[in-house]
Amino acid sequence: MSNNKTLLIIAREYITRVRKKSFIIITILMPILIAALIALPTLLVLHSEQSQHTSVLVVDDTEIFINGFENTDNVNFSYISGNVDQLKKEAFEDEKYDCVLHILDNSAGLRSNLYYREHIPTTLQSSLEGQMDEIFFNKMLQDSLHITPDRFAKLQELTKSSVTTIQVDDEGVERENIAEMNEIVGMMCGFFIYFVIIIFASQVLRGVLEEKTNRIVEVLVSSVKPMQLLVGKIVGIALVGITQFLIWIVLTFGLVSVAGLFVKGNIVPEEMAEMTDGGSMGAINNADFSVFQKINEYFSFSFSEIILCFFFFFVVGYLIYATLYAATGSVVDNESDSQQYTMPVTIPLILAIILIPTIATNPSGQLAFWFSMIPLTSPITMMVRLPAGVPFWQLLTSMGVALLFLLFCIWFVAKIYRVGILMYGKKPSWREIFKWLRKA
Amino acid sequence: MNIIEVHEVTKRYSNHLALDRVSLSVPEGVVFGLLGPNGAGKTTLIRILNQITFPDSGSVYFKGRPIEADDVRQIGYLPEERGLYKKMKAGEQAIYLAQLKGLDRETAFKRLRKKFQQYDILDWWNRPVEELSKGMQQKVQFITTILHEPSFLILDEPFSGFDPINTNLLKEEIHNLKKQGATIILSTHNMASVEEICDEIALINQSQKILEGNLYDIKTQFKKNVFSLEIGGETTEVTQMLAEQFEVLATNRLPHSVQYTIHLPEGKCANDLLAAVMPYVNILSFNEILPTMNEIFIEQVESFNQAHPHEQQ
Repeated sequence: MSNNKTLLIIAREYITRVRKKSFIIITILMPILIAALIALPTLLVLHSEQSQHTSVLVVDDTEIFINGFENTDNVNFSYISGNVDQLKKEAFEDEKYDCVLHILDNSAGLRSNLYYREHIPTTLQSSLEGQMDEIFFNKMLQDSLHITPDRFAKLQELTKSSVTTIQVDDEGVERENIAEMNEIVGMMCGFFIYFVIIIFASQVLRGVLEEKTNRIVEVLVSSVKPMQLLVGKIVGIALVGITQFLIWIVLTFGLVSVAGLFVKGNIVPEEMAEMTDGGSMGAINNADFSVFQKINEYFSFSFSEIILCFFFFFVVGYLIYATLYAATGSVVDNESDSQQYTMPVTIPLILAIILIPTIATNPSGQLAFWFSMIPLTSPITMMVRLPAGVPFWQLLTSMGVALLFLLFCIWFVAKIYRVGILMYGKKPSWREIFKWLRKA
Repeated sequence: MNIIEVHEVTKRYSNHLALDRVSLSVPEGVVFGLLGPNGAGKTTLIRILNQITFPDSGSVYFKGRPIEADDVRQIGYLPEERGLYKKMKAGEQAIYLAQLKGLDRETAFKRLRKKFQQYDILDWWNRPVEELSKGMQQKVQFITTILHEPSFLILDEPFSGFDPINTNLLKEEIHNLKKQGATIILSTHNMASVEEICDEIALINQSQKILEGNLYDIKTQFKKNVFSLEIGGETTEVTQMLAEQFEVLATNRLPHSVQYTIHLPEGKCANDLLAAVMPYVNILSFNEILPTMNEIFIEQVESFNQAHPHEQQ
């Protein structure tokens, strides 16, 4: 019987919210926004890089650099010798070249001028300097060693070195990973869980407040127990949140796939891969679940583990904040008063948000450790740390502490809520609230 | 049989005593007036009857056995502070509230349809409550209170905010419900409606019950030997005699008659008065004036407060 009533309440809370226009709009817009956020910069970068093809005419008086520059997709080098002023004029006249690099023969040192008409890529200057330094240094080295260019090239090949970062986890499994990637994903997870917790928990606060200011609560609690009412509300809103996630996940996958197909159709894959840091981001254009397999290779944590932890910390974090906010909503008469009471709870939350970047860059430091243990901040901080890898015992401890704290919150709200919802007109002092807590 | 019996109920809040060993019985099938000044403890008692709050000590019996959670199915409650979900449609909301009382959806739907038809408000069904006028909202609220056909109704200030037409409609509803066998507790400050509708009353003041019983019995209990006497014409003899032997509180001269309000001194009865007047004039009417509920209320509360001044809030 009583379960039926709780179900009725859950159904009402769920249906009235899901039917709202704002729910439908946000549910549809969000994935479009996310997809746009992912796709737009990629498309923009691709577009601009493609169109900005620079051709450089090299007039090398020293003859050291002839055929020495590296042709890339974006920059093309041609070589010629002769009078610079004359060549410059011709080059710009028929718009065959975007700029002319004149390397002067100067025994005192290397000097060169880059002439251009219209705007050139900002990176061109530094790229030229780098290449010229290298070519010049190699030439000097080659000359002083008296070896043939072929042998020199082989020598260069032999002395090339590279460093790969590999993380070793508790079971000794090794993974290559990219720290920046972990950082970005960690920050995204942290902000996202913060937003969903705060959005849905404050819906609980508003719902409780609505029933109280409407005075309908008195009719309701004459039919059902206050805790049934509260549980129904909290569960109903949680289900709204979960529904929204599921739709978001499905729609985002769908949209990213569509965007991926679109990108794939336009870009040659190698180009894409080269452009996006060795293929980690380039996985987007594969437009299927292999995206995640590929991304997985760069994480210390698997994607499914992150999603599972996200669900756990969302549910527990939401329940903690929802119960505390419900207690707040029950003791005040209007929304502006509620801030006074939510303050002690909101401060740790804001602290966790401020510390997201710090914790993302140093995910295993002292600060990160303690904030991922304190239950009011742990859902956010733990999600920031997860991509970089968290020892299993720490994760378990954090979850355990959060669950224990949730039990405390439930006890707390059970004492406050049923007294608070029937108090009209006056705000209780903190002392009175403590009195309610002590009373059975 | 008593539908509700309250035994020695005490309820203490953190800073004051709301109910102090209150006992009362509500017989089945009556309209029971629960009276008392603001802050006397009426709302607390009503909440205890609704099992919204629970007494610190004492007990409540419903139909002869200790009240239990499932009894809410048989209780209808219209709180003083009324309210509905503003955004929810009237019909949907009434069904939801009836379902919370334990009614199944279909029955609730059928009954509500009938009720809406009876009031001729079917077109309100799909309108959000916030679009309805205050009077309409109150009608919807009253319907939701009785939709599960409770045998026991608690109406807290039901007439407040109602216009005279709706007040009448509500009185008729109360009358009908009583005829169908429902017991109704009516908490109100409107003493005229108490006299009109209530069979029994209880007066609560400063957390204590200070008066309880049948409305007529109480009125007789507090009668002050005041009579109204109407005679055919005024003569100086009568006026003189009345002033000498009795106490004339008021004289009202009408075109063809005179009306006296007379207080009988200690030791005299109605017959003495009639016997004294009869030789002189024609008696047109004679009747006892009982105190109004309003007078009893004020007198009882004031004398109680004078006796217990320190407890006043």
